[in-house]
Amino acid sequence: MGTNQQLSAVESELYDRQIRLWGVKSQERLRAANVLLIGVRGLGSEIAKNIILSGINSLVILDDGIVSEEEQQKNFFLTRNGIGKKIAEEFIIKAQLLNPLVKLTADTSDPTTKDSKFFEGFTMVVATRIKTEFLMQIDKICRASKIKLIFGDVFGSFGYSVSDFQEHEYYVDQIKIFPIKRSHSGISTKPVNEIVKVKDQFIFPELKEVLIMPNTKQSLDHIKQIRKMNPYYYLMLILLEFRNRQGRNPEISNKIKDVELLKVIKKEILSDFDANCVESKLGDDLFELVFAEVVPVCAIVGGVIAQEVIKAVSGKEVPIYNVFLFDPLTFTGKEQPIKTTKQH
Amino acid sequence: MTSVPDSIDPRAREMIPKCKILVIGAGGIGCEVLKNLALSGFKDIEIIDLDTIDVSNLNRQFLFRKEHVGKPKAIVARESILAHSPDIQIKAYHDSILSSDYGLNFFRKFNLVLNALDNRTARNHVNRLCLAADLPLIESGTAGYSGQVEFIKKGITQCYECQPKATEKTFPGCTIRNTPSEPVHCIVWSKHLFNQLFGEEDPDQDVSPDMEDPEAKVEGQISETDTGNVKRLSTREWIKEIDYDPEKLFNKFFFDDINYLLKMANLWKTRTAPKPLLYKDAEKMTKQEKVQDNVTIREMQLLPIAEYVQMFRDSVATLKQQLDNKNHLVWDKDDNIAVDFVAACTNIRAQIFSIEPKSRFDIKSIAGNIIPAIATANAITAGLVVLFAFRLLVEQYEKCNFVYLRPKSIHSRNILAADTTLPKANPNCYVCSPEPFVNVFVTVEKMTVLEFESEVLKKHLNMIAPDVVLDGKGVVVISSEEGETEVNNSKSLSELGIVDGSILKCDDFVQNYSLTVAINQYNPLEKDDPIFKVVANPEDLKAKEEEVKNSKEDTTSVPEKDPVKVGISQIDINSEDPQEGPSCKKRKIEYAEAEDSDDDLTEVPVTIPMSP
Repeated sequence: MGTNQQLSAVESELYDRQIRLWGVKSQERLRAANVLLIGVRGLGSEIAKNIILSGINSLVILDDGIVSEEEQQKNFFLTRNGIGKKIAEEFIIKAQLLNPLVKLTADTSDPTTKDSKFFEGFTMVVATRIKTEFLMQIDKICRASKIKLIFGDVFGSFGYSVSDFQEHEYYVDQIKIFPIKRSHSGISTKPVNEIVKVKDQFIFPELKEVLIMPNTKQSLDHIKQIRKMNPYYYLMLILLEFRNRQGRNPEISNKIKDVELLKVIKKEILSDFDANCVESKLGDDLFELVFAEVVPVCAIVGGVIAQEVIKAVSGKEVPIYNVFLFDPLTFTGKEQPIKTTKQH
Repeated sequence: MTSVPDSIDPRAREMIPKCKILVIGAGGIGCEVLKNLALSGFKDIEIIDLDTIDVSNLNRQFLFRKEHVGKPKAIVARESILAHSPDIQIKAYHDSILSSDYGLNFFRKFNLVLNALDNRTARNHVNRLCLAADLPLIESGTAGYSGQVEFIKKGITQCYECQPKATEKTFPGCTIRNTPSEPVHCIVWSKHLFNQLFGEEDPDQDVSPDMEDPEAKVEGQISETDTGNVKRLSTREWIKEIDYDPEKLFNKFFFDDINYLLKMANLWKTRTAPKPLLYKDAEKMTKQEKVQDNVTIREMQLLPIAEYVQMFRDSVATLKQQLDNKNHLVWDKDDNIAVDFVAACTNIRAQIFSIEPKSRFDIKSIAGNIIPAIATANAITAGLVVLFAFRLLVEQYEKCNFVYLRPKSIHSRNILAADTTLPKANPNCYVCSPEPFVNVFVTVEKMTVLEFESEVLKKHLNMIAPDVVLDGKGVVVISSEEGETEVNNSKSLSELGIVDGSILKCDDFVQNYSLTVAINQYNPLEKDDPIFKVVANPEDLKAKEEEVKNSKEDTTSVPEKDPVKVGISQIDINSEDPQEGPSCKKRKIEYAEAEDSDDDLTEVPVTIPMSP
């Protein structure tokens, strides 16, 4: 990473409206960040767009897929001429126009072939559309090299993110208002507003303690202890388990079979977690809503994930600890904290 | 093959390719909305925006690139969308939605209207047209990390104007002219000075000492002929006479005028007295004493006074040249020289009044009322807008409750929170109730017809082209037809027979909006009372007065141990001067007016209703 991280006049003009929100220091940290994005489909393309616009140093897009007609229609940065070509390469051609100051690289190899060396050069890793086993491997590598990691997906109208920022220090600016003081001479001073940096630290658990998949022999106690668990936490696990088993997401062309399998997995997972009480909130009709990626939901979840990337890199503002769940029925989005047994 | 999403209501899937959508605004939210519509299978879209592209838009308005700077947003946005989805019908208008070309017949073509606007005037106008056309409207806005999406439809929800919105922030004139105590007071004064020297003259923007300050008057030592008030009459001529000599200007505003102020000894009994500053002394102030931690960008640094003197001198010279080709200049936050002038004057005046200085960067924020804007908040908000659209197309109104985007805090797990019911219409709303009605309190002998039209009907009640008839007598008071009622303009209301108890039928054909106005005679008691009041329900008048009282008390009792967190940009805007007596003349702070060209302005409510 370069030592000269001062912003140029061009940069301060371009980023003016965001520097006025998060400050120069955050912008300088963004400018030094090298990010890896795994998967550049509906959700991935939204995340990429937002973080390219924010002004990071470099972004590597890792995706071994080919542009299909369907993919092109749902991804603003793919053109019709690109159909049949490598998706990562096609993506960066158009995405580069978003911000010429960011170094974009396409990597079209199979993500699962990447070794720990590959990951070590990044400040932050953003992963989408991968199986949990691979995710846990990446998490292990990231932890060893203190690389922050966020993972997320959109399934139809539903979406989520899961963060592992490890030991994450952050600060927020608070405004403290001091009241009027009257001195003995009778001259009163104005109330003074002062910006105070308030520092704090979050310790994130490893992802294997957050996403506990069936048959992994992990303890479920710390999850069972959570009161009022957001039912969509289980929907996330069900969909991830589906992907693990089938090697793909649910498809509309296999709808009947896929919904059947989702129901089976739901039963297993809810009983593993003794969570049958959420059955009423997690009706089978929800499975109507989990096919393909609904573009506006990608925009929402992609916006949330990109903002978490900005928080992770800049060390400013309170990050989501550690699971974010988007409710496809009410359009609300909530944090669901998952802590380890030790942290309880 | 279609890109209509699979995982939504099947009836909505059918509607999407058939419906016609109007998007108003191609800024931060508008760009995102257009992309979401195009990628979700909408085939027939119209987009209108009167703005052109600026460099500071490019960090979020992703349909635009550097080479598009200066071009119309609507046109470029259309081209960008077509590059991805060439078979969409998309029509772009580089125009103002307020124009009479976009009346009821225009609106009636659409199934749904999506607002992505940046100002209240346009929001009010679109609200009225959607009510008139009985169209569902999705209203949205963002500011910094926050955002909101609201569904509005006649008979189903409240309208955009059902709840009174916070009014423009004002400062008492004597605080600005005589007793500034905060940087923002110096900024307002400096913008007024800009207008005095280079802009359109406005008697409300006087910068010289105010001898009528009720606090100062007690002393009664200064004779009227000795005051700045008399002198100011010829200020503009005097400026021309000295040919904008920077030293003479400086000495008048920062030395002579301050000496005048010092004569009003009463003002300085409980305040730190200002210290008059001569040009030749200011030039020697080359040290900046305040410690600054590691600020690398010059614009964000606090500079020694001598450098502000130079900035003053240079900007006056450049602005004087600009004035040569024009009748007057208009202050613009994107004009670096105009910002230099205000930054220099602000910090010189701050020095004189022992007020903390501000960096040019911060001064630009406050003077230009710049609302920070980021890509992520716009993306999230626009995502919600289009999810709402899916539901409204199939009339699932009850599923479109108000949604708020909030920055994550340690106090809340909600990032996106929703109301649990749709807000009901205000039965007294002067826009959406079945018989819109307001009381206007006014001095009928004093207010002219022109003032009534421009201040009451247009500025306050947001009409565009009103026709006004005096009920029962059939007198046409105001006509939207040019030349028909000009003769009435200078007449007082009473001269046309409008007196206490008169009823005026006001009609705006563009907005298809009719309003009955009851005239009430009212005489302002003190010189600083407003010249008119508009009230839907006279009971509200009392409630408002209570509120003012309460808020006054609040500002003086903020406890130290309980710091209030607000966005950085709000620091100065939020602080009030609790020492100022109520009898000072209030003046508008012009940064709150519609000169802001940012796309993402919103009125975010202070209280955040959370879903349980």
